[in-house]
Amino acid sequence: MNFDSYWAAVDDELAVIPGRPVLDIVPARTTEEATFYSLRITSTGPYRVYGNLSIPKGDGPFPALLITPRYGSVNNIPHPNDRSRYVVLSLMHRGQRLADEGFAAAYPGLLTMGIDDPATYIYRGIAADCLRAAEFLLGLAEVDPARVAISGDDLAVLTAARRPGFSAVRVTDVLFYRAIEARLKSSLYPLEELNDCLRAGLSADALSTTLSYFDAVRHAPAVAGRTLLAVDDPDWSASLLAAFPTAEAYQVTHLDGTDNDFLDAWLAEQSGVPALSKFIA
Amino acid sequence: MRDPENATVEVELPDDFDDFWAAGLADCASYPLDPVLTEMPALSTDKVIVYDLRYTSYGGLRIAGWYTVPREGPAPYPALVTIPGYISEPTIPKEWSELGYAALAVAPRGKLRSNDVFNPGYPGLLTHNIVDPNTYGYRGFYLDVVRSVEVLLDRPDVDNLRIGLQGSSQGGGLGISTAALLPDVIRCVAAGAPYLCGIMTAPTLTRSYPYEEINEYLRIHPKDVDRVRESVAYYDGLNFAPKVQAPTFLYVGLEDDVCPPETGFALHRALACEKTLRTYPHCAHHAGLPDVMRIVEDFLAEHLTPGR
Repeated sequence: MNFDSYWAAVDDELAVIPGRPVLDIVPARTTEEATFYSLRITSTGPYRVYGNLSIPKGDGPFPALLITPRYGSVNNIPHPNDRSRYVVLSLMHRGQRLADEGFAAAYPGLLTMGIDDPATYIYRGIAADCLRAAEFLLGLAEVDPARVAISGDDLAVLTAARRPGFSAVRVTDVLFYRAIEARLKSSLYPLEELNDCLRAGLSADALSTTLSYFDAVRHAPAVAGRTLLAVDDPDWSASLLAAFPTAEAYQVTHLDGTDNDFLDAWLAEQSGVPALSKFIA
Repeated sequence: MRDPENATVEVELPDDFDDFWAAGLADCASYPLDPVLTEMPALSTDKVIVYDLRYTSYGGLRIAGWYTVPREGPAPYPALVTIPGYISEPTIPKEWSELGYAALAVAPRGKLRSNDVFNPGYPGLLTHNIVDPNTYGYRGFYLDVVRSVEVLLDRPDVDNLRIGLQGSSQGGGLGISTAALLPDVIRCVAAGAPYLCGIMTAPTLTRSYPYEEINEYLRIHPKDVDRVRESVAYYDGLNFAPKVQAPTFLYVGLEDDVCPPETGFALHRALACEKTLRTYPHCAHHAGLPDVMRIVEDFLAEHLTPGR
């Protein structure tokens, strides 16, 4: 199956599965600034996934932010700074905590689950979860459709590529980009999972084939929104940066206070809201 | 303007602090450790052998970990317990064994591989039964790390005189508590961005998680503030710190929104052992990563002498 038909099939599956979202207010996280909800919604499978949704109080519409899930069992709850400025949705994909009824992801293990076949690879479903979350957020009446941003790793790129409507795309990390090469750099997880898989006998070709469906460099050309790519090694990231129609690079300093503030300010500027540092000076 | 180095961070020391933890250790000792190691060939490499580890801890719960040893080099090895952060799962510590250590990455109760019985979730652990020190979620969690060191003491391939602790954030905080509870065993501690120090002060200095969980809890249980304060005093790193005897290396980001730098400085002041503090301007919770890891490696190597 080629790249386009692979992803078209995911879209087709999602299109016939009603999301049937359920929102419940979370009083402990509701403040004078924003109302906080838990979200449960159906993705492909069908499978119920979980989200943290916060909507600013006052008259909308508001700028919005979708935070795609990181690699790991837990995602942080949206920070109060973001909750005060954006309609913000953070997703727990299938297998992560709070979305683990019926399937609890293993760490290590998730990155290579079903990787011998693109059709059974777990990230096919995870990508669908992100697309479903995007559809939900973009459909909220409180959201200003001209100011919808997405932030995360390759999943953010993939989602922005396949769901028009994101005006700003902040890419803070990448997992799948050149993963078959990146795995050689160290024995650190999660990329070490790929080495474990190869030692177990999976062919490098099979691995590369499946990973290629998820590599951000293949999705980037379809991203319409203004994009910021956080870059550690410019040479390593050059082909990804070039693949986006309109992207700028931010050279990571490894002074994460500085980096966090820059990344926040960039998105705030795109969204027309004030920049806020998480560190209270 | 904040002045983290000179800020006051106070925690009351409960009168029965030592008895409280002695009782916890006694409970652990009432159960056979019963460590079971299963070699994992599919996860092992030409340099490192990987084992799945299970052992019994506080309350009789079985706890998981990853244990790795070098394939080559002079055994018995120096050993390192790596302690996970709040939201992270312990990864297989191959990189430490590649440097010559026997390494144990512990998954205290509530982490995915140790949550059959106790599973407060994330968020949730920080405030699980927080009004009651005896049933607070962290009670077993702290002791699970102590118990993991006892696993190492039981290993013929580990040099009992060369055991250290390494972790950041929650891993840093529990490095301090574990070293305090095993002062005769632990030879050094590397603790980054230490969490669980100044537990009641930290939520007043930040809106970031996990400390924000305490603000949320008190938002709907405002009358519990005194009981929460009493309870977490038993778990506060500032109360453990004076009991640490091992040389300790601390590293702190001066713009850390997760574990406010005021609490890192307070920990440094409270430590009575040989200690080193490195501070990183413009750094947040990474506290100098990745560069600081070279210093951590040198510090651990100085005290644990891998390859000897």
